[in-house]
Amino acid sequence: MPEYADYELTAQERKAKELEAEAALKAKVQGGYILESPAEMTPGYRKALVVQLTVQADTELMSAPAYWFAARHAPTANTQVSAHAIIQDELAHANIAYRLLEDLGESKEQLVYGREPHQFKHPYGFDQPLDNWAELVVANGFFDRAGITLLGDVHRNTSYGPLKRALVKVDMEETFHLRHGEVWMRRLVRSGRTASALLQRCVDWMFPMTVEWFGLPDHLKRHSGQLDYRLKGLTNDELRQVWMASTVPLCERLGLKVPAHYCERLDEYVLDYPFPCEYDPDAKQWLFAEGEISWNQVFERWKGRGPMNEIYVESIRRSRDTVASWFN
Amino acid sequence: MTDPSPGALGESVYDVFARKKRGEPLRHVGYVDAPGDALAKVYAWKTYDEENWFEMCVVPRRAVLPVNRHDGPWGK
Repeated sequence: MPEYADYELTAQERKAKELEAEAALKAKVQGGYILESPAEMTPGYRKALVVQLTVQADTELMSAPAYWFAARHAPTANTQVSAHAIIQDELAHANIAYRLLEDLGESKEQLVYGREPHQFKHPYGFDQPLDNWAELVVANGFFDRAGITLLGDVHRNTSYGPLKRALVKVDMEETFHLRHGEVWMRRLVRSGRTASALLQRCVDWMFPMTVEWFGLPDHLKRHSGQLDYRLKGLTNDELRQVWMASTVPLCERLGLKVPAHYCERLDEYVLDYPFPCEYDPDAKQWLFAEGEISWNQVFERWKGRGPMNEIYVESIRRSRDTVASWFN
Repeated sequence: MTDPSPGALGESVYDVFARKKRGEPLRHVGYVDAPGDALAKVYAWKTYDEENWFEMCVVPRRAVLPVNRHDGPWGK
């Protein structure tokens, strides 16, 4: 809200004052300042944080139905329990992030129940069906590792105190999901050729899916509000490298082929396929042979959403209106 | 003072506090939305299960009285 004296200012002067306030907050958080309350935020900071938390909350929420459909393939009672424990964690993480959004004046009600399925901001990977036990454990090994890569960085670097504290629990549990994925990938490889072939098929579509998840490469992303306001610490490409630095050696140890390798000269992981490229969701296949596409084409595909989007959203809210009506 | 979001199912916010072991401070670990005290306890225990807590309690947010700051989530 502008102060009374601000009404004396011209539009141009007011704009200059706002930019000055944004710049002052950016400088403060770069120096390690932690915000504890929405009242301390500038409009720019608040907006960047709302976007970040919405992506975080939606991603956790949509992972739940994706894992829930796949948990039906659990081979034993014990594995049913661990698969559902992971789903329970994901729903709790979503709830935590939506709750933080409520403190910023957003409505959990509207976010969860008031949007069209395509308006959720989760990654394209969670619009895909996970059709067997191998796909579920590779999702734990790859997607949850992407989750901890992203959220671990937020935890270490965020300038928003309440989010930093909330992420203690989230990081601890995402590490458990990742271990679940790794342990099961190892077990499946050891079990012999049938399971190894199935696992390789998972890696073939899920590795590039996760690589794409980290978004626009740095040379195309001119500006990041999230970095300026210290809502995260690493760039998209840096985070992608962190993910590959643990995923590629894991797959190599298991004898699984991944379309990426470590390049000594560049001292980083390099992709062995055109990036970004087109994906055929029905065949679960990346169209490497068709070559590189533009990021605008990727955004179009993301915006169009994947085959399970509506089914997943419907599965988490199907009876909600009926039950709510009993209380009115 | 009203709760920030009662929600369509008549839920309100409870803050969750817990201590890992004897001698440690009770710290704020999170929050749940619940329609009453009994379910708030269940939701908190089932949601914040990342540790084997020695002690956990829930506090309806409306019961927290801010003393020196009125700009945070508790001071609204």
